[in-house]
Amino acid sequence: MAVQQLDVDNVIEARREYNAGLASLDKGKRVWQFPVLLLLVLALFPLVQVMDGYNYVLHLMLYTFMYVAMASSWNILGGYTGYISLGHNVFFCIGGYFSGMILAYFGVSTLITAPLAGLAAAAVGFVIGSVTLKMRGPTFIISSIALLMVARILFDNWHFVGGSNGITLPQLELDAQWMKIPYYYAFLVIAALTVWTSYKIKHSKFGLGLRAISQDEVKAESAGINTRLYKVSAFAISAFFVGMAGAVWGEYLTYIRPNIFLIILVAANLVLMCILGGKGTVAGPIVGAILLIAFNELSVVYLGSSELNILGTGVVMLLALMFFPTGIIGTLAAKKKLPRFLDWD
Amino acid sequence: MSNVIQIVILGLALGGVYALMASGLTLIFGVMRIVNLAHPVLIIAGAFVTFWLFRLYGVDPILAMPVAAIALFCIGVILYKLIFEKEAASAKYSEMTVLLTFAVAMIFDGLLGWLFTNTQRVTTPSYATDAIFIGDIFIPTGQLYAGIASLVVIGLLLLFLQYTRFGYAIRATTQNRAAAQLMGVNVGLVSLITFGIGIGLAGAAGSLVSFIFSFFPAKHWEWIAILMSLVVLGGMGKLGGVIAGSLILSVIAAFVGAYIGSTWSTMTFFLALFVILLVRPQGLFGDKIEEA
Repeated sequence: MAVQQLDVDNVIEARREYNAGLASLDKGKRVWQFPVLLLLVLALFPLVQVMDGYNYVLHLMLYTFMYVAMASSWNILGGYTGYISLGHNVFFCIGGYFSGMILAYFGVSTLITAPLAGLAAAAVGFVIGSVTLKMRGPTFIISSIALLMVARILFDNWHFVGGSNGITLPQLELDAQWMKIPYYYAFLVIAALTVWTSYKIKHSKFGLGLRAISQDEVKAESAGINTRLYKVSAFAISAFFVGMAGAVWGEYLTYIRPNIFLIILVAANLVLMCILGGKGTVAGPIVGAILLIAFNELSVVYLGSSELNILGTGVVMLLALMFFPTGIIGTLAAKKKLPRFLDWD
Repeated sequence: MSNVIQIVILGLALGGVYALMASGLTLIFGVMRIVNLAHPVLIIAGAFVTFWLFRLYGVDPILAMPVAAIALFCIGVILYKLIFEKEAASAKYSEMTVLLTFAVAMIFDGLLGWLFTNTQRVTTPSYATDAIFIGDIFIPTGQLYAGIASLVVIGLLLLFLQYTRFGYAIRATTQNRAAAQLMGVNVGLVSLITFGIGIGLAGAAGSLVSFIFSFFPAKHWEWIAILMSLVVLGGMGKLGGVIAGSLILSVIAAFVGAYIGSTWSTMTFFLALFVILLVRPQGLFGDKIEEA
């Protein structure tokens, strides 16, 4: 049977050229000035502390950076890949304890060991992910909650790390005026790194594979994507940054204890920030983190109880899910009203 | 030997209550494919209804069961009308509903915590601290009555599902939603009522929980994984399976608690959940779970 031989090379060449054209067109339109400018402003901001009295602002900002890092990190798994984890603060805890224990026993600051803590969290994430990512959809979500419960019991009863009372960590020897600056920069760097990674992943073949998995895993598999490896890698990467954030957070608080890391509200915050801002977008988790932290702070100031805070978080989440399931960025983008400075994708 | 019998009996009594706690969850999953993360917090809401009835009017917790069940039935119907009805068409339905129920769980957690504070509470009817002795074996009457009451409620539920026309419609919808609809079942109404019944069962379970455990609003997070392990073990959506699953797991947990340490007895449920999800995701008694 005579089958006409297609000139495959030519076709591939033409397609590559076309894609390159598209990519360069895309690149020209992309805003990079705004994020860079923002980063610059944020990097120079601590100068106001020369006048002293901005500790609360600095605290809020570094807290926001931490959540930006964690939410963007969660977004790699939950947004791009579509695997919603309600137990991601397990890695927050692992990072915190890993670096915290090194600090307590050897006196090495977590600012130095944070990347190692990230790696430890990623390694644990890789192992756990290769087991739990066999499940899909709601089953995976259930297993992630169970993971959180298991971790809570383990850390509460592990006497070497102080059990449920935790351990205290030594403080940096600095004036109260400059106390927050090192952590400010640490969280800023972690957040910037996470957002950059999230952007890079979104625009890579890896990210394309992840998004294919979130659309239809079986089809992605049959299109030749190693779904297993992709998913587990995404899980490990998203554990990495959460672990790093946890490491610095422990030293910043000067104590580590299971009930600061392993409470469901932290996991709920991560999920909610991504949903609020826009799951699967680069800028979404940032917008979500800023909004939610502002909301939390206001509700603590004006309502004053943590129960009302939980209630408020739940109401916001419910309303966001029901009326803006694609989040602020997603909804605006769909209406083509997204301001250019927020279009980071 | 009597030690072993003792542990088995305690495990079974607790298992009966767990079965009631999880039965509403499995019923809702069966008909609507909703994994209801708000179930445990609604159980606590039922416990609060019972607690206040007992505290203010001296109503016996077991007699308060119907009241709690009806109150929670109404909450369930309202929740379904407000939230879940319009989600039926959403693209990622099952994930979406998990997140929605998670939000509902937070709302009730915060609401109950705000209204009643997060202190430990327990109702104290006279039988809650009593025990019956048969030879060496002692049976706490509270757990015994709770176990019996929960089996009665589950029995009534099974009779309802088996012998009434509406129960027949519920079972048909569980088996195949589209086919049931084609056969003239009003699937929307079935979903609404089933959701109500499921939440009502949570209320009834709450009455029993109020005197065998101490409870506070934030406690429900640890129950989510426990109840899920029971539902998954029984095969999601299988009522018979969840009863068997609860009894089996509770007995195992009782043995773990007795021989290894009480902190690890809850761990049994979580580890069982992982093992089952990995080895046999359809559960011991279930068919293959459909991908949603």
